[in-house]
This record gives sequence, structure tokens and C-alpha cells, in this order.
Amino acid sequence: MATASQLFSAFLLLLCFTVSESGYKKKEDSLGDKVSQLTEWNNKKSVIRLTGDKFRELVKTPPKNYSVIVMLTALQAKRQCSVCKQANEEYIIVANSWRYSQQFSNKLFFTMVDYDEGPEVFQSLKINTAPVFMHFPAKGKAKKGDTMDIHRVGFSAENVAKWVQERTDIQIRVFRPPNYSGTLALALLFSLIGGLLYLKRNNLEFLYNKTCWGIGALAVIFAMTSGQMWNHIRGPPLMHRNPQSGQMHYIHGSSQGQFIMETYIVMLLNTAVVVGFIIMNEAHNMKGDSRKKRILALVGLGCVAIFFSLLLSVFRSKYQGYPYSFLFK
Amino acid sequence: MGNPGGWKSLLTFFILALAWLAGFSSRLFAVIRFESIIHEFDPWFNYRATHHMVTHGFYNFLNWFDDRAWYPLGRIVGGTVYPGLMVTSGTIHAILNTLNIPIHIRDICVFLAPVFSGLTSLAVYFFTKEIWSAGAGLFAACFIAIVPGYISRSVAGSYDNEGIAIFALMFTYFLWIKAVKTGQIFWGICTALSYFYMVSAWGGYVFIINLIPLHVFVLLLMGRYSKRIFTAYTSFFIVGLILSMQIPFVGFQPIRTSEHMAAAGVFALLNAYSALKYVQSFVTKAEFRYIFIMSVGIAASVVFLTVVGLTWAGYIAPWSGRFYSLWDTGYAKIHIPIIASVSEHQPTTWVSFFFDLHILICAFPVGVWYCIKYVNDERVFVVLYAIFASYFAGVMVRLMLTLTPIVCVLAAIAFSKTMEIYLKDDSPKTNHRTSEKDQENKNERLYDKVGKAKKISDNKPKDDDTLGINIKSVIVIAMLMMLMLFAVHCTWVTSSAYSSPSIVLATYGHGGRNILDDFREAYFWLRHNTHDKARIMSWWDYGYQIAGMGNKTTLVDNNTWNNSHIALVGKAMSSNESAAYAIMRELDVNYVLVIFGGVIGYSGDDINKFLWMVRIAEGEHPKDIRESDYFTPQGEFRVDAAGSQTLLNCLMYKLSYYRFGQLQLDARTPPGFDRTRGVEIGNKNYELTHLEEAYTSEHWLVRIFRVKDLTNRQEILKPKKPIKKSYKKKPKKVSCEYRKCH
Repeated sequence: MATASQLFSAFLLLLCFTVSESGYKKKEDSLGDKVSQLTEWNNKKSVIRLTGDKFRELVKTPPKNYSVIVMLTALQAKRQCSVCKQANEEYIIVANSWRYSQQFSNKLFFTMVDYDEGPEVFQSLKINTAPVFMHFPAKGKAKKGDTMDIHRVGFSAENVAKWVQERTDIQIRVFRPPNYSGTLALALLFSLIGGLLYLKRNNLEFLYNKTCWGIGALAVIFAMTSGQMWNHIRGPPLMHRNPQSGQMHYIHGSSQGQFIMETYIVMLLNTAVVVGFIIMNEAHNMKGDSRKKRILALVGLGCVAIFFSLLLSVFRSKYQGYPYSFLFK
Repeated sequence: MGNPGGWKSLLTFFILALAWLAGFSSRLFAVIRFESIIHEFDPWFNYRATHHMVTHGFYNFLNWFDDRAWYPLGRIVGGTVYPGLMVTSGTIHAILNTLNIPIHIRDICVFLAPVFSGLTSLAVYFFTKEIWSAGAGLFAACFIAIVPGYISRSVAGSYDNEGIAIFALMFTYFLWIKAVKTGQIFWGICTALSYFYMVSAWGGYVFIINLIPLHVFVLLLMGRYSKRIFTAYTSFFIVGLILSMQIPFVGFQPIRTSEHMAAAGVFALLNAYSALKYVQSFVTKAEFRYIFIMSVGIAASVVFLTVVGLTWAGYIAPWSGRFYSLWDTGYAKIHIPIIASVSEHQPTTWVSFFFDLHILICAFPVGVWYCIKYVNDERVFVVLYAIFASYFAGVMVRLMLTLTPIVCVLAAIAFSKTMEIYLKDDSPKTNHRTSEKDQENKNERLYDKVGKAKKISDNKPKDDDTLGINIKSVIVIAMLMMLMLFAVHCTWVTSSAYSSPSIVLATYGHGGRNILDDFREAYFWLRHNTHDKARIMSWWDYGYQIAGMGNKTTLVDNNTWNNSHIALVGKAMSSNESAAYAIMRELDVNYVLVIFGGVIGYSGDDINKFLWMVRIAEGEHPKDIRESDYFTPQGEFRVDAAGSQTLLNCLMYKLSYYRFGQLQLDARTPPGFDRTRGVEIGNKNYELTHLEEAYTSEHWLVRIFRVKDLTNRQEILKPKKPIKKSYKKKPKKVSCEYRKCH
């Protein structure tokens, strides 16, 4: 009984509202039109493409009871915006997660404006970069936080969803379509190795070849000691171009950072020192006359000394105030 | 020269003693420059715990419930600490005291790590001797004694687990190699005992319990199974497992967590393999093939299903966060900000490899090369160790420590090989040479008789004068110069980078050295001027120091076991004053301590750490704290007038910069100029309502504020209305406040 009476009172309340709002009939109509149009589009595609006119009509003009998230972007190939593509992919993931979630309603729409389809939107919002994520609330004007700060938080789908939740109080659980490429590559690799072993099953000598194993082990060690893991985690640029002089910098100026190019150089230097060392030691066991041995030994020593001092000077240039050097500065 | 063997051992002894001495003395920079003092953060807790153990006895220490930490939760210290360090220094203290040598426990704690570095170089010597030769062992002992990668964790005063754990690590590995070589149960049990010491000392024991099974597994794959390995591993595994479970902090982890499952799996595999070998001896080939395939299939599926089933049922815990972040390198950054916030958990640049290891980093791959070329059972272990340790060191800076010993060993092999070739006197007369050759032949016998190893012994004794004496001496001198450069580099690095106690700062100006002793000044003020049970709120970095030096109760400390508690403190620091006051009342805070470096330009202060507080607070209270509020609209973090208002009014800002606006440090800069961030602060003249300044140290580095009590009654703002009316209202308000404070 209690629930029934509650329901009834709720119904009454609703009735009151409809009655009292009937005065705004005209506005209501345009609002209803807008919502139904947006919903219809949304049923077809999770991200609604807007042109300049549509943007003004659906997003900017007041009677609204829905929030709109707009991505302002430039996806045309001629604009050469590679970031926009990545941002677009992430954005579509968020929009799809919303589109197929349990709480999906017509309170929130994901839209986008391409620069080539509505340049006037960019002008009216005084935006000259892309991509930009903006939120247009249902009521009132856009506030400070309504433009997402992608420089600081990035534009991964999780962060976009978090930002949307901050602005609209609607929680979206991001559902990424699972990425099988890694597993696939691994399976391919294993089948390749397996296939190779099967083909060479009559001659598995190479498995006992110590040089192969030695080179493999050294490759892992060189990769690690030259900071490839740091590159993998931090993702530094390949090298740096000085905007004023146009000069290329291969070596990062501080000891806290490094460029990818720099790590390759260091890896080469390390390898050269090691090769020099081995030549120097093997010179003794070489077959041949003693002249050849002597030259080999000296070549080995030269490799070790020169490449090590090169490494030392690279280090010196990065580590301010380091006092020592070898052979050359 | 009557007895070359005698000379040899005397020389060995002498070199090892010198290595010990050099290692010990190069770790004393901090003691000589400052004083005999405990460094940094964690050592202060270790020292406090040791002190507690020495004064109250071992069993009271194991049962110690520390009510001075994590107020109001407390911390069960005995069950959450690796007691090896405390027991070691406690034992030394007890021995010295029975010998009537009175020494304060603090001095033992300060000098423990340098003394143990000598033991480490001994362990490394024996390890390398087993792997390669005695000459390489001497090289390795000298390298490990002075290499910065190890000194960084073992200078005098850095009283931490790592200081003794590296010794335990290398000693365990030495015993393991010995066990593999001899196949005696005695050495297996010794390995287990040393492993037990390692478990009691450092969480890094997981490295041992994964590396040794990996070694056994790879040996099986290579077809190098033998009775020796079976004996060594089974005896080590069983005894080691039982012993490791005796440490309260470890408890049942060895049979319940994924980190330890590899060891158990290899144990099962090894037993199955040896059973098969046994069966093989009395069945025909065809039968054996059938049995083999059947049993391998069954065993593999049974093991796999059990592990999966137990994990699913919750008996085996999945990988813990810290270990997991070693494999999936992006994991910690997203899921565990408190791990990501620690600078030790960052990946390693090549610069820090070179900084910590210098020439060894270039030379050690040569050692790996020769270990693979002349492979035998124990060299497989070294190669595996080198590869895995370099991977881990690449992922996390702090794991450089586990890489360092093996780098020393392998670089020593490289150098000793070169020296062996080029120092050898080729002139064919002395009997000195025959002894050396004997030794070499002995070595050769240990090599496998496959591949190149034979060739060397074949063409060695042929032509005598292969390389001229000139070339030999050039090469030897060049090598020696590089080694000297290495020694100089090590000393420079130790002196400039790793020898500051970080609780006493020193600045060098034209007036000589200037000591800034603000931390101790403030902590001793706390110790002597506040109530015994006073509760101090600070960021977690300073928890151990406040407890150790100030002997006061803290809310959070460096044992970051409770993230939500830390987040609560972070929330208080990043809220405005009245919201923070509510939190502080709930947490019974009496004093708030902040570190402020703006006066002297100290960059490790709380304002620079502030974003981590916000981030950690946001993780637990996303409704109240938002990181974006602390940035300007352009996304900058700035404390001047253009900074965000939320930042300029949060508690941390107000406490750090309280009265700072009136302080003019320099005629050229405006008042309130922050030297650390190089800007004039944005919010200058304000008063605190709920807190008052209690103490500020000489250079303003530490500032302590007292949290005021609730006012007796609500303050009545200018009574405009007739007195009668306000009279009616007053009791209501007072009662409300009354309820609040209960």
C-alpha cells in the first residue's frame, strides 16, 4: 500500500509540473525537437558530427536540458594532425562506452566539430589549436574547468571519462575493445620459433652454438644498461631540434633525461668497448704469425681506450661539474 | 721464495685486508665531515627499533606494539619488520659489552654498514674464486669494496637493511655454487642457513628464491642434470622454506604467494625428473618413451591446475603491487601513486648506470661473454644473474644494488683474464711459471670439454714469444690507468653524491662551511617542549624522524602501509584552514610540522612535494580534492599572485608561508621572495584562525604550529540586537558545539 501511495503522489507531482510548464509550450517544443533529433543521430552513431549551423542551434542556443561534450578537431589528412587521430580514437571509446552503458540517457551527448566542416565554431570560441575537449552544461555558461586540460592530464579515454564525471556527475565506465595484437604477435613469434625448430630438427647444432647465446645475452644487457627501459616507460623524443638555430641535439643536456638517439649512441660505445676487450684477449690465442697478433692486440686496446674515453666525455657533457676525463675532453 | 703457496696466501690475505680497509674508510666521509649520526629517513626507524630491542630485550621487541606511530591505529612492529638488522647490531653490542668494551648502540648502528662492506668483499672473493679463479676473486673484492653502486646504500650512518643484505646475498650465492659443485648436503644446508639470514634481513630475498630455482631449471633444460644438483637443491629448498617461515613478517607467504611458487614448482619438477631417470634405468627405450610422455603430460596439467585452482580459491595471493610493477612497467603509475611517488622506484637512465659503475659497466659484458664461452654448471648461474639483474636495474633505480655485485664479479673476470695474458712473463726459465701453469691447468679441468676450451689448452704451450714485451707493458699500463681512473671516480662520487646525512645540511660560501642544523633543532624542540603524548601531523616522509629524534606520536610515517590514512593527512594539508581543522580535530592532532625551504633555497620541501599530497588525497577523496584546482587555467603550478586560489588558501600554503610576506631576505628582492621557486609569493598578509605558530627553526626550514583548542563558546559578533534576543540563542549554539567536540 505504502509504495502505491508513493507512486501516486509522484504521479501527482509530475502532473503539477506538466501543468505549470505548459505555459512554455513553444520553448518546450523546440527543446523536444532538439532532444529527439540528437537522440536519433545518437542511435546511429555514438559521436555526432556537427557543422557550424547545427552547433549553434543544438549546443549554443539556450533551451537545453542536456549536456554536450564537444571535441574540436581537425581530422582531414591535409591538416596533418596526428594527435587528433589518437584523441579521436580515445574519444570514440568513451562515447561508445556511454552509448552502450546501462545508464545511457539523453542527458549527455558526445559530439565533434571538424575544422573543415565548421571553421566558424573555432572562430566564435577563439580556439586556434586542436584537439580541444569542451563541455557545454545544460544550464548556465561554461566555466573555467569546462575546457579539458589535455596538456596536463592527457586525453586517454580514462581521463576523458573522469573529466566528464567531474563536469556532469555522470559516471562512464570505459570499456576498451580488447587489444589482441600483443597476444597475436607473441603467438606468431612462438609459432615461428617452433616452426624453425621443427624444420631444422635434424640439425639442432645451432642450439649448442655458444656464440649465438653469447650475442643474445649481451644484446639484452646492452639494451638494459643503455637505458632502453627508461625510454620504454618515459617515451622521450628521438632527438631535439633547437627551434632558434635549427641545430640537432642528440644528447640531452641534463643527467635526469635522455633522448632515444643518445641511448643508441651509448649502446654502440658500450659494444665497441666490449668488442675491443674481447679482441685484445683473443689476440693471444689467434693462429698466425706474431705480427698479426700484435696488431690485433693494439687494435683491441685502441678500441677500449678510445671508445671508453668517448663514453666518458659524453657523460661529462651531461653531468655538470664532473672533473675527470681520459684521452680527450 | 721457498714456499710459493705461502707467499700466495699471504698476498691474498694482505690484499683482502687492504680492500676491507679501503672500503671501510671511503665510507666515512659523512662521519668525518659531520659527526657520527644516523642518516635520512628509514635508518631512523631501524635505529629506534634497535634501541628498543637493546633496552627491552628480544622477546619484548618481537611483541612490540608501537603506539607512537600511525595514531590512532598504532603499528605492530615485531610482525611488520625484518629483524635481521636489529638482531645483528644487538648481538654485536652484547658481545662487545661482555668483553667490557662499553660502546653506545648508536655507534654500532652507524658503523655497521661499512664493516659489513668488508664482509661483502670477502663473500664476493670466495664467490668469484669458485666461478673463475683466485686472481679474479681479488679483483672482484677490490671492485665491490669501492664501487659507488654499493656505497650508495652502505655509507656510515645509513643504517638500513641493504647494508647487511648484500653480504647475505653474495654469501648465499657462494654457498649455493659450492653446493652445486660438490653436491654435498652440508653445503646445501649452509646455503639454507645463509638464506635464512637473508630472509630475516631484507625483502630482496625473493630474488634468491627465484634465481636459484631458475638456475636449476635452466640446467635441466640444458641437459646438465646430475645427482649433485638434485642433492643441493632439495636440501636447500626444504630447509630454506621451513626456516624462512620462522620470520614473523614473512610467515606463510612462502607457500601462499605467487612470488615463491617458482621455487616449489622447480622442486616438484626436479623430483619428477630424477624419478624418471631412476625408472629409465630398468625399462626399455620404447616403454620409457611412453612413460615419459604420459608422466610429463599428467604432471604439467596437475601442477598447472593446482596453481590456478589455489589462486582462484584465494590460497595463493597474486603478485603484490611492487613486484607486479617490475613486469608491467606502466602498472604502478596508474594504480599505485604512492609507489610511483618514491624516486627510488623510477626507471634508470644510462647516466646513473655509468655514474654508479663507471668502467665496470663496459667491462662486465666481457665477463658474460667468457662465462658463456667456457660454460659449466656454476657459470650458467652467473650469466642468468647478470641478465636478470640488469633487467631489474633498468626498471627500478634502487635495484641497481642487486646488479652491482655481479657486475663486479664479471668485470673482475674480464680484467683478470686480460692481466693473466699480458702480465705473464714469457721468458722460459723461472719455476714461478710452472706453478702458475699448474693452477691454470687445474682451472682448465673445470671447464667442459666441449668447443673452444680444448683449443686453448692445445695451442697455449706452443710458441713462446708471441707478443712482444713492449706491447704487453703498453696494454698493462693502459689497463692500470683505466682502473686508477675508476678508483678516482669512485672516491669522487662517494664524496660528492653519497655522503650527506640529509638531516644536517651544509652550504659552502666564501666564509667557509656553514652548517644548517634546523631539522635536529626542531625535533629536539619537540622532544623537550611538547607534551609526552602530543600528536604531530606531518607528511609521511618525516614520520620516522619525528618518532626517532622527537620521540613523539606521529600520524603517518615512512612505513606506508595504510594508504587511506596518508590520504587523510594529504587531504588536511590540501584543504582550506577550517576544513583542515575539522579533520585535525577528528585525528586529535596537537601540532602540525611542515618543511619549508623558501628561505635558504632547499628544494626538497613540502611545497615541492605538495602535488603528491594532492594526488594521493584525490585518490581517496575525489569529491573534495581535485588536482586541477591547484593549477592555474594554463595548467601551471605556481605560488605567486597568479597561482590558483585553492592553492593560495590551502593549509600547506598558509603554514609554509605564514609571516613570510614580512620577511625581506635581500635588498634586491621584494619581501616574501621564495628562493626555492624564485618568485614572490601571492598571498602575504593573513592570520591563522585555528592554528598558531609554535616554533620556527633558525633558517625557517622546519615550522611547527599548534592546533588551537575549540573556543570556549562561540564568539558573538557585535551584538546589534537587544541583549535579550541573543540571550535566547546562545545556549543552543553552545550545546551544538558541545556535541561536536564529543
